[in-house]
Amino acid sequence: MDDLQFRRAIYADPNNQDADTIAAQQQDPSKKQFAQEICQLDEKIMRALQVPVPEGLAEKLILRQTLASHQVQKRKTRVHLAIAASVAIVGGLMLNFMQFSSAYNNLGDYALAHVYHEQGSFANNATSQVTLASLNQKMATFDGNFSQSLGKLLFADYCRFDGMKSLHLVYQGKTSPVTVFIVPKNEQLSFSPHFNDKKLFGSSLEFTHSNIIVVADKNESLGQWQQKISETVSWLI
Amino acid sequence: MMTKQVRYEALVKALHGDLYRYAYWLCHEKQVAEDLVQETFLRAWRALDSLKDEKAAKSWLITILRRENARRFERKRFEMSEYEEANITDTQSVTTEQELENHWLREKIAQLPPEYSEPLVLQVLGGFSGADIATMLNLNKNTVMTRLFRARNKLKEVLAAQPVKRGMYNG
Repeated sequence: MDDLQFRRAIYADPNNQDADTIAAQQQDPSKKQFAQEICQLDEKIMRALQVPVPEGLAEKLILRQTLASHQVQKRKTRVHLAIAASVAIVGGLMLNFMQFSSAYNNLGDYALAHVYHEQGSFANNATSQVTLASLNQKMATFDGNFSQSLGKLLFADYCRFDGMKSLHLVYQGKTSPVTVFIVPKNEQLSFSPHFNDKKLFGSSLEFTHSNIIVVADKNESLGQWQQKISETVSWLI
Repeated sequence: MMTKQVRYEALVKALHGDLYRYAYWLCHEKQVAEDLVQETFLRAWRALDSLKDEKAAKSWLITILRRENARRFERKRFEMSEYEEANITDTQSVTTEQELENHWLREKIAQLPPEYSEPLVLQVLGGFSGADIATMLNLNKNTVMTRLFRARNKLKEVLAAQPVKRGMYNG
């Protein structure tokens, strides 16, 4: 290794551990001295390069990061809250929709379903009876009035007819109870004048503000019921 | 999350000094160096998950810092040569012989062209090998070695030409 090469290697890296440079140092004391000189220079450079680091820089760095990530977290919780709120609203709307929207789209279907649902609750030969006066009291809600009783009224009360407040009347029939609904008019359910399934027949009467629906079995004459209703019912408006 | 925080704090404590000094020798201004280090560590925090090898942390941070420094020039263009003597760390209040020599040498290092001083800082302060420096600076290894040689050579020359009598002359 010639002198120039050696000097270049040492200048470029004083701590050079190449076999060549180490061997060269061992052979030539002047080279060794040169290497030591440069090492001393490097120590001086090292000392000079070590400018003082501002006090508390590490703490400042950690603080800044903590604040920054805290803000990110705050933003995240806000987003989470918004998502939770949205889900709650959508859930509420869905529930609302499912509960109050009709699964049936005409009066007849709903009336039949309603009757079947409460079939067990009424017996044709029940002893209880509702007076005409208390029936008319309830009818007042629909601005209606019955001038005389249609038959033996076993039960009369408000009920939910597809989410609408309506009056549910059960009369004694020939073989099974006859159900009469007084239902406010509603656009959701289309009017169906006659409907039936295998067991029950029904018919609807349309008045100004309400519909009256009669559901009974085959033994009853629906026409007769309808006629009686038309004759006895009167509306205030 | 806690582990990330712990890793970050360890990184800050272990390397903020080296990084600050490197930044200082890059820009020669205390305040700018501090800002650079802050920006670098903030970016490092965001990308901490991408740092798999803890041993590579130092060169990783230096790469981020160099990029930040370059961005500073994109934002604000000012001449490289226009640095003032006053910006060089003032240690003149400490008057020991050693400190005085450090100060004098600091000025000389600051006067080196940046392409010479940067590899020198990386080698002496960072303890990086020539190959490492070459990768970091996107240079050929031979180029790096030549620059290191020239940097030391210049410093040796100025030290040899150093006035025998140093110090402050008051009055």
